[in-house]
Amino acid sequence: MRRRLPEAVLGVLWILPALVLIAGLILYPVAYAIWLSLFDKHSFFPAERWVGLGNYARIAGDAEFWDSLWKGVVYAGASTVLQLVLGLAAALVLHQAFRGRTAIRALVLFPYMIPTIVAVIVWRWLLNETYGVVDDVLVRLRLVREPVVWLGVDHMMTSLIAVSVWQFTPFVVVSVLARLQTIPLELGEAARVDGASAWARFRHITLPQLRGVLFVVVLLRSIWMFTKFDTVWLWGEGAGAGREIRTLPIYAYMRTFTYYQAGFGAALAVIMFLMLMAATLVYFRLFWGEEDAA
Amino acid sequence: MRGLAWRAFVYAAAFGLAAQAVLPLLWMLSTSLKPPREVFATPPTFVPAAPTLENFARLVTDTAFLTYFRNSVVVAGLTVVLTMAVGALGAYSLTRFAFPGREAVARLVLCTYMFAPIMIVIPIYILARRLSLVNTHTALVLSYSSFCLPFALWLLRAFFGSIPVSLEEAAHVDGAGRGRAVLHIVLPLALPGLIATSIFTFTLAWNDYIFTRILIASDDLKTLPVGVQDLFAAAVVDWGLVMAAGMLITIPALAFFMAVQRHLVAGWGTGGLKG
Repeated sequence: MRRRLPEAVLGVLWILPALVLIAGLILYPVAYAIWLSLFDKHSFFPAERWVGLGNYARIAGDAEFWDSLWKGVVYAGASTVLQLVLGLAAALVLHQAFRGRTAIRALVLFPYMIPTIVAVIVWRWLLNETYGVVDDVLVRLRLVREPVVWLGVDHMMTSLIAVSVWQFTPFVVVSVLARLQTIPLELGEAARVDGASAWARFRHITLPQLRGVLFVVVLLRSIWMFTKFDTVWLWGEGAGAGREIRTLPIYAYMRTFTYYQAGFGAALAVIMFLMLMAATLVYFRLFWGEEDAA
Repeated sequence: MRGLAWRAFVYAAAFGLAAQAVLPLLWMLSTSLKPPREVFATPPTFVPAAPTLENFARLVTDTAFLTYFRNSVVVAGLTVVLTMAVGALGAYSLTRFAFPGREAVARLVLCTYMFAPIMIVIPIYILARRLSLVNTHTALVLSYSSFCLPFALWLLRAFFGSIPVSLEEAAHVDGAGRGRAVLHIVLPLALPGLIATSIFTFTLAWNDYIFTRILIASDDLKTLPVGVQDLFAAAVVDWGLVMAAGMLITIPALAFFMAVQRHLVAGWGTGGLKG
């Protein structure tokens, strides 16, 4: 019989490959980004010059940074709130008993499962001001007199938020739906027998049960919307009005890959991360309750 | 409250939900089947008057679409293989082996959710340049795998944890080693979890834009999202062609999704997430 290694050694050996990958390609890059943010470094050439907190000082006085921060907050805030409200309502509908429920639950997830590039090209086509079906319908219903230039300067942010809400609300729907299915039916039934209205039952029975899942969903969605790159980048690029939706991740990317200022770009990414950490801590302080652990 | 009006409302709302999700995609299908003249017809038609596969034919013959497609399949496939091998080993270790710091490791892994791709991709690009890995599929596969590992570990850990230890112990009594017990008992029982994790991983690699955009420069190595974006960035957008490309990228993603959507909600509760 072969000699068996002690369990602890085996345990470490088996987890090791995963840890090496995570350490090498997530933790090390993050640490390197922090290090890089202290240098003035070209994105391609090896030369680098220590500037200490110089990049951060520059960012503090950089009007473009403050502008992109504001746009990022507007984008993340508006799209998260809309996803939450619409997703919660949709989940409550899909929780009801009706024929074809399983199929519709699957269909509703489609926008979340398709690649971002597809969501973007489809909506760019639907919202095209000359040949798009959305403007065609709006004009024919006489809701607008002239076709709306959705990808123009005035409506760029609005249309980006709309597309993002379309794409990412299914995440809220599924998360809430999964939790709804675990609420004991007896709770609602007992309240119904006692004569509680539908609204009262939602307000005092369903909503408190959803507290925990909503806590997590709001946290994840706002973090992901604040750091969203591909939807925003693809929506703006080439439309001529990309400036209108230059959020913080886009600005960090442009500094690194358009202006080749890798140190400056890394400093922007680090600041974005620090702001997220701070916001998360405040969020936990404000809303976390022991019951959310469930 | 449970009256006819309520039922009518539920059906109308459910129908509305399905329509908003599916109609844009049906519009893409419709456009992809239209000849150029009809694509730009005003008012637009929903059902193509003269459906044709011309756009798809042009996509295959006039563009590098098939190359992008093959690259995507290779990269997503290898990512799944690497993530599942490394993830299953690690998740089993986190479930069954007792070693100091195990819970700390699990929590550390969870914390990496906090890091956005944009923060990681800038240093990864510079590191990849240093290691001469820029413009290789290796760089993509490694990046995607480490990005998928945190959720793969958590998801698989939940599935492994639900398998009674007694089954494995029975195998040990019968003289099977640890490896064989895992191979013949744990993995088959955790199959739904393995499938769900594979799909999440595949979808992430298949859909990703930013890593390819930054790490891949030459046209013959690009994956679909970047390749199709370049198609789209042409001076005059050939909408029929672009919609045909959109259809062909969407179909594999949705096919995989439909195949596992039964397991999806289970995965959702245990951390099978993406951005």
